[in-house]
Amino acid sequence: MPNRPVPDFDYEAALEQCAAGRRSALEALYRHEGPRLLGVAQRIVRDRARAEDIVHDAFVNIWNRAGSFDATRGSARGWLYSVARNLALNAVRDSRHETAVDDDTAAVLDARDAIDAWHDTRDAFDWRDSAGRIGPCLEQLEPVRRNCVLHAYVDGLSHSEIAQRLGAPLGTVKAWIKRSLKALKECLA
Amino acid sequence: MSAPTVPPENLDELAGEYVLGTLSGARRQEVNARLPHDAALRAAVDRWEARLLPLTSLTEPVEPSPGLWLRIAKTLDRQHAARQAGQPARPGWWDSLFFWRGAAASGLAAALVLAGTLALRPAQTPGPVQYMVVLVAPQSQTPGWVVQASAGQREVQLVPIAAMQVPADRALEFWTKADGWAGPVSLGLIKPGEPVRIALDKLPPLEANQLFELTLEPPNGSPTGKPTGPIQFIGRAVKVM
Repeated sequence: MPNRPVPDFDYEAALEQCAAGRRSALEALYRHEGPRLLGVAQRIVRDRARAEDIVHDAFVNIWNRAGSFDATRGSARGWLYSVARNLALNAVRDSRHETAVDDDTAAVLDARDAIDAWHDTRDAFDWRDSAGRIGPCLEQLEPVRRNCVLHAYVDGLSHSEIAQRLGAPLGTVKAWIKRSLKALKECLA
Repeated sequence: MSAPTVPPENLDELAGEYVLGTLSGARRQEVNARLPHDAALRAAVDRWEARLLPLTSLTEPVEPSPGLWLRIAKTLDRQHAARQAGQPARPGWWDSLFFWRGAAASGLAAALVLAGTLALRPAQTPGPVQYMVVLVAPQSQTPGWVVQASAGQREVQLVPIAAMQVPADRALEFWTKADGWAGPVSLGLIKPGEPVRIALDKLPPLEANQLFELTLEPPNGSPTGKPTGPIQFIGRAVKVM
């Protein structure tokens, strides 16, 4: 079951009601979006109990900060995800150790790894399921770069974790991600 | 000729990697700290959030445990009880952006007045609560812990009201500092999520506005005897009634 937004739910109205102190509106949001938010958080923190803690904190935050939601800055649904993802990413970035390999060291690592990874055209994600205009933009990326972006966003992997996963040098992964973001931005403009 | 400001290109890269999640913990915290007062960075982050949001659809939903909503509701009940008891004349102040802006601008989250009727006060606590402190996260302003001190008792209770994670190689250390003191004094290491009573018998009596904070420190506590790690939660004591 792909995690798509359900069009007939009025996220913005629900947030307005939360800001007005209506607990039932938060519960409606929770019933509606909780499983999807938990799915996103669990993918990042990779632990069920921690993911539920993240969703707990996310809904407490959503309740406390609903009044500060500004529809001119983005969609209400997007705001829910940014609250939850931010908590999840803060949690894993604080606790997961970054491999201390600097760019220079990474650059002298066996370049063959990079070439192997580059030729690895298998997709790690059913990215064609992703909603909206980003699908065709992802299609324009080389599979390995696409995997970098998706491992980062969906799995919450750091640069070094992606490098390890793909068997590619750290510096190469950093460069791929930087260029992929630029390409996505141009494609979506 | 040097440009004093960050070029928009770099700002956008920073925002992109922030939303993607590939910034290191330290750089992430930098961005979190900059966001409230950097409108250009905030706008760049908003744009990246919108661009990448469809990728959340690649994750399968997971059905939450049956008790999760109840946990959320209980946390909100505690907040609500605190609000009702402390500030009946100003409903909604807890959620007020202006309140938190003011609190953030003052550099410290304001301590919140709570009354002794607070739901989380254990029934066996003798005497009325004399001082209350709500410890909030400095960036998100999310309340995480409540400190309570009862009249005539030479101890405080530290009660968690929200879940928190501490990195495996770090410990949570509890500190206090009254206005006239030279520096913060350690009240020891705290286990996340567990209520604890701490004796204050070696310290002067608690006073109004006394600062309490929880910082991340090495596993055996701060090596210097003063806080060295980032503040996780902070608040000041308020006399109740």
